[in-house]
Formats: sequence, C-alpha cells, structure tokens
Amino acid sequence: MSIIYVLIPLAIVIVGIAVSIFFWAVRSNQFDDLDRQGYSILFDDDIKRKDVDTNQQKEKINKTDETK
Amino acid sequence: MAINVPKGNCFHCGLPNLEGDKYPVTILHKTHSMCCPGCQAVASAIIENGLESYYEFRTEPAIKGDSALDNTMHKLAVYDEPELQEEFVFENGKHKQIQLTVEGITCAACGWLIEKQLAKVVGVKQVTVNVGARRAMIAWIDTEIKLSGLLKQMKNIGYESLPFQADNHEVSFQNEQKSYLKKLGLAGLMTMQVMMLAMAQYFDLFGDIDAESTRYFNWISLVLTTPVVLYSGSVFYLSALKATMAKTINMDISVTIAIFSTYIAGFIAVNQVDAEVYFESICMFVFFLLISRYLEQRTRHKANQISSNMLKHIPVTAYKWAKGELTSVLAKQLHVNDLVLVKAGEIIPVDGEITEGHATIDESMLTGEFESVDKQQGAYVYGGTINQLGVITIRVSKTLKYAMVNQILRLQETAMANKPKVALLADKLSRHFSIIVLAFTAFTYAFWYFQDSPHAFWIAISVLVATCPCALGLATPSALTCAMAKLNKGGILLKRADALEQLTDISDIVFDKTGTLTCGEFSIQKVWVADGSQRDALLSIATALEVRSEHPIANAFSKLEIDIKHQHISNFRVSVGNGISGDINGHVYQLGSANFIGIDNENPFIKELSDASIVLTKDGCVVAAFWLVDKIKNDVADVLKTLSGYETSILSGDSEKNVRDVALKLDIGKTYAQRTPQQKLDTIKELQHQGKRVLMLGDGINDAPVLAAADVSVAVGNASDLAKNAADVILLDAQLDSLVVVLRMAKRARRKIKQNMVWAIAYNVLVLPLAMAGFLTPWMAALGMSISSIIVVYNSTRLLKD
Repeated sequence: MSIIYVLIPLAIVIVGIAVSIFFWAVRSNQFDDLDRQGYSILFDDDIKRKDVDTNQQKEKINKTDETK
Repeated sequence: MAINVPKGNCFHCGLPNLEGDKYPVTILHKTHSMCCPGCQAVASAIIENGLESYYEFRTEPAIKGDSALDNTMHKLAVYDEPELQEEFVFENGKHKQIQLTVEGITCAACGWLIEKQLAKVVGVKQVTVNVGARRAMIAWIDTEIKLSGLLKQMKNIGYESLPFQADNHEVSFQNEQKSYLKKLGLAGLMTMQVMMLAMAQYFDLFGDIDAESTRYFNWISLVLTTPVVLYSGSVFYLSALKATMAKTINMDISVTIAIFSTYIAGFIAVNQVDAEVYFESICMFVFFLLISRYLEQRTRHKANQISSNMLKHIPVTAYKWAKGELTSVLAKQLHVNDLVLVKAGEIIPVDGEITEGHATIDESMLTGEFESVDKQQGAYVYGGTINQLGVITIRVSKTLKYAMVNQILRLQETAMANKPKVALLADKLSRHFSIIVLAFTAFTYAFWYFQDSPHAFWIAISVLVATCPCALGLATPSALTCAMAKLNKGGILLKRADALEQLTDISDIVFDKTGTLTCGEFSIQKVWVADGSQRDALLSIATALEVRSEHPIANAFSKLEIDIKHQHISNFRVSVGNGISGDINGHVYQLGSANFIGIDNENPFIKELSDASIVLTKDGCVVAAFWLVDKIKNDVADVLKTLSGYETSILSGDSEKNVRDVALKLDIGKTYAQRTPQQKLDTIKELQHQGKRVLMLGDGINDAPVLAAADVSVAVGNASDLAKNAADVILLDAQLDSLVVVLRMAKRARRKIKQNMVWAIAYNVLVLPLAMAGFLTPWMAALGMSISSIIVVYNSTRLLKD
C-alpha cells in the first residue's frame, strides 16, 4: 500500500496542471462565448473545396473594395 | 444542420416572399428565390466569397437584407475621421483595434461567416466575433485598409456594425466574471479530489485503516483544501466583511463562520487519528455557493451588455460653408454662427435658424407629431430632425452639446438617477434568516456543550451548513436567468433582471402614441372619386406622381403597390409645402393641399372635401380626394383588450385631436396630448406621487426621459437608440403583443421564485431539527444542500419550456 505515497502526490501534480490550464483558458477568453464554440466543431471549413480558389477570392474582394 | 425554409418564403431571411421568382440566387447547386433585392444582394455576396457553407451551418434565418447598400459607403467614410477614431479605436503599434456592436447576428453560423469573410480582406490581422454578446473585435493595419472599408465588407454580407460606447462597468464586469470562473473551477476540481480521499474514511471498507494512512490522507486533504478556502472563498469573506462594517447581517457571515471554523478545527485535528475532519464538506460547500453567485453575476453582466449594445455611435456630419466652399465636418466640430447646408433627406446636424431656402421637416422623434412641419426663412430647426424636402442653409445657434437632443439626454440621465428603487424580496428575507440561523447555531452549541458531548462543535457546524440558504440564494437568480433567456429567444431583451419582479406590481400602463400605438407613417384611409369608374386609373396617376416626391405622403401611395410603369410623366414640378404636379397623356394633373389646387371654398360641393389631406385635379377640375391618416398597428386593439386589468392612458406630443381619435378607437380612458419631454416627465412623476406604479411604452427621443423615470419602461423595436438606452425592456419586433408575453412571463417568474423559496425554506426547516439533534454529519448536510440546490435550479429551468 505504500505505493499511495507516490500515486497521490502524482495525482496532485496532475491536478495542479489541470488547474493551471483551466486558469489559462479563462484568461484567454475561451469561456466568453460558449454557444458559439459549441457549434464551431460542427463547421467543416477546413476541408478544401475543389471548386473554390481562396487566392482568387482574396483578389476579388480587395478589388471591389478599391473601385468603390 | 441547415434550417428548412418553407416554400413561399425568402430563402435568406425566412420572411414571406411576395415577389415570387423575381430575385433568384443559386446556392449549393439549387436555385432559391429571395424576397427583395437586399436579400438577393447579400446572398450573392456570400456566394461570391465562397462562403456558401453558411447556408449549411446556420440554425436560424438571417435578417432581411438592406437594399440601400449604395448610400452607406459615403456615410461610412466619416468613421475614418481621426477625431472620431480616437474615442473608439485602440492603437497597438502597427495595428488598430476596435470593438463593434453587430446587428443581424442570429446564430453561430453568422459569427463564422463574418470571421471568414473579414479574414480574407488584406490588412486584417484578427477578427473575433462573440455571438452571445453580438460583438466583433477587429484588429487591422490602417495603411492597407480603412475602418470604413471593413464596415462596408460587413454590410455587404448583411451585417450592420457600428462602434459603441462601452459602459465603464463592462470591463470590471468581465474581470469579475473571469475571476468567478477561476474560483469556481478550482473549487470544483478540489472537491472531486478531496472527496476521493475522504471516501476512504467514510465507509471504512478496508477494515481498520492504519493511523499513518489516515494522517496522510488528512494532510493531503488539508493541502488541497487550503487554496479553496483562501482563494475561492474570498468572495464570501469580503462580502461578510462589508456587511459587518455596515453593521448588518447577511448570509455570507454565516457562510464565513462555517468555512473558517471547519477549516481551523480540521487544521488542529489533522494529526490525530480519531478526530473528524470535514475538508470535503468545505470544498463542496464553497463550490455550490459559488455556482449561485456566478449565475447571479452572469445575469447582471448580460443585461449590462445588452444595454451597452444599444449605445451605438452614429456620428452626424454636416456640410459647412467655409470661404465659399463646402467642407464635410463632424457635427460636434461646428461652432455658433457657422453656416451649414442641409440637403433633402439628410439629418439636420445642430440647432439653428434658416437663413436661406425653405423645407418640410420631420420632427417626430423630438415632438412625437409625425406630420411634417413647414419651415421658412427665419424659422428655428432642431438638430436630429430630418429635412424631408427642400434645400436650406442654417446658421448654427447652439453647439452640439447644447442642442435640444442633448438636453433631452441630460433630462433622461437625471430621471434615471432618481428612479424609484425597489427592495427585492430575497434581500429582505435573507437578513432575517441569517440572524435566526446564527442564533440557532449558538443555541445548539451551548446545549451540546453543556451536555458534555465531544461532538458539540461538529453538531453546531452541521447546523450552520445545513441551514445555509444556498438554495434560497439560488431561488431568485436562477429563475430570473431562465426567464431572461426565454424572453431573449422570443425577441424581447431585458436590461434589468429585477424589472421582471417589478412588472407584477404595475398598476398603470402609459403609451406613447406615434410609433408605439400607430405605425408612424401615413396610410390612405379614404378615397373619393368624382367618377367611380376612373378610381383605379386615378389612383395609378396619383401614385405615379407621388413616387417622384420624397414627401412621407408618398409612402402611403407606394404601399398600395399599384402598377405605374405605363404612366409617362413629363414636366414634373414640386412646390414645397403645397403639392406636386405633372403632365400625363396631355393633361395637367395637380396633387396637393386644397390651397395649392386653388379651390374655391365657397362651393358647397368642395366643403365636403375640405378636410381631405390631398386633392387631385385634372386640368383644373377636382377628380379625386384622399384622406391620409397614421394607422393604428394591427394587433394593438386586441392587445389592449387583454390589458383591461390595468389603467391605460396615452401620453403624446401630438395634437389633441389626433390623440383623442386614437384613444376613442382603442377605448383608452385618459389622454395627455401636446406634451413636451419635460411635461411628459412631470405627468409620470405625478402619477408615481399618487402611489401608482407606472409601465411606460415609447419609441422616440422625446420619450427617453420618461422611459428612464417610469418604474418599468418598454421600448418598441423601431425606437430611437436613445429610447432603447433608457428603457428596461426592449421589444425587438415592433409588435405590441410582445408586451403581453413579457407580463405573462413576469407572473410566471414570480410564481417560480415563490415556489423555489418555499422549497428552500421548507428544506432548511426540515433539516434544522435533524442537525440540532446531532443526526447529521457535516458531509450529509453539504450533500443535502447540494441536492436541494439542484431541485431549485431544475424548477427554474422549467421556465424555459412553454
């Protein structure tokens, strides 16, 4: 049973890490807009679409901006 | 995940599509129809930018697109003025940063859309959209793109965004919220850890735990509990300290005593074997109490955010005559005696006197009278009013600070400061409760001490913990949070959570007339034609003529949506303040007031038409007459029937006759007409003096002071920003039946709060004798308290259902 003298301090260290990560998350505003973050995992916009060229669009947007 | 838009509705905004297939857009390989050019333009912009996925991700329809995209660019340029930017824009080295309030966000996909769209623009460093708060934070490089360009990009995809005046409290609220979250998280995590260790001792399942292990566990529990006591609990200690310094007692005093006593006793006993330590009870106790405080703080923060969003900053520009040339300046840069040119359709920037020209001015936002006023040379005009027709030059007589609009604003601020405050039910109760609890605890301790029981101390602690009104503390905030969320979904914004409680006490309801009870624009009430068969043709001619005019009367005709494409008008002329005329098919048509037409008043036939708003003549002969009126909104009559339990009255700046007409139609008893903003305020104060509790509904700038002074105030959706700022409740759509919804919810919330309180108190009363008799150990007490809190919160969430 003397293994608990190792395990429990280890658990405390892990909990300490967990707490500091939680504090970091709160400080970097991750808890500000919980509804939205729940949805963002459902958006699959990291899949590259073949019929769309992002560079071409960037040009298009910035061009229309200049002419107006 | 996309929503299903029923057939016959606009695919973009979900509203009924009356135009059929006029505005199609191909989205995701299917052709959909939109309801207006605005929606079509926005949808096309979204597609062109490769963001079609928006339609796949969204969970709510978008708002209706604004078709007037072209004139906004010119107006947006003013946001690049350095004087304006220094108030709202932060400079961070190379980058500029701004927080904008965004209108039109309906669901999470909107946030995604805005972020994706702006990320593509050259010069944008970072875009973050907060959907819940309806805000966007943008960081950009000013040399590559201007702020006006960013605003325009957002407008293209259908979102109107503006800088706003952030409330001072907001920053501190946000920090407070973060601090609460940290404390809560810590307490939660530690509760789990310490519970885990304490479990071993609860059940003693492993036979006799040797002394060393027990001591070891106790020490670890102590180490883990210390941060909770010192950091997470600090909320309660500070509050208890404040209360003691103010010589009152509140719940936090008992909480502080309980926490500290348990901790210190545990500290002393940690090395002993037989002594009881209740560290896990402390952690659990702190955790659940923090949850209730956090919820309460969130409600207040949310309400604060909503009211901040209403303080949008729309700067007014003016064209100043300087050395014979026109320059564009900000309204606040104008000095007395400056000469300013105001064209038709523009907002008059400051108070002044007309030196040249003459115009019809819409003063409804200041006076409530929506019929335009004719102003000639030498007449006085007010900043904030709209010049509808005519070009005038104004000599500035008061700077922006002293303009009528700002005077009303100051009146409103004073009224707000003197608003009647109501002590809430929960606060009153908690004070008495705490005193009773402390008394009982002391009594219990004394009793058991004199009985020579070694457990005296722990029994006393159990009493403190068991009677801690944690559930009571949750009763009100949880119910109010749920009520607010439910109302929010229905398009009703609540700015003060306690307004909900006050709504149940209302005795009088006071309505503003224009814009609240009525539509605020002209409609055709009656049509007379000399020759019945010509009715449609004449209406078509009248509409064709009016369409060319910018007078509000034109709206009444264009609403009829009569086909006028076949009418060819030549020689169209406008006589400001009188009427319009044009030639069609060789005949000269004149449409205007009786004076303009040159009607002979002695003719008996004409007398009947004397009260008509405008008359149409063909080649000098009267052929038709139209009566125009400000129509009452559709559902108002029904709504007023359901409000028959309250005393209703109309408080308006409009003329006696108009107010009486509306009051008669709606069966409203009292009327107060022709009131200036100050007089409106006095009327409300008089009613409050008589002991009545007043609910006020309004929409214009002239209502702002009275909305601030009433016990509870409601701004209707199309209200001016100033009115929305002063009101406690904002009905996002302009329909009055939302008022009934709010009143009903207020009653439900009140009932729920009472139920919660009854339960919380009953639980405490039940548990108290058990604790006093020594049957309850602290951990059982803590557990019971947690369960009763959960029951209270669950009961409140039932408000979210219909």
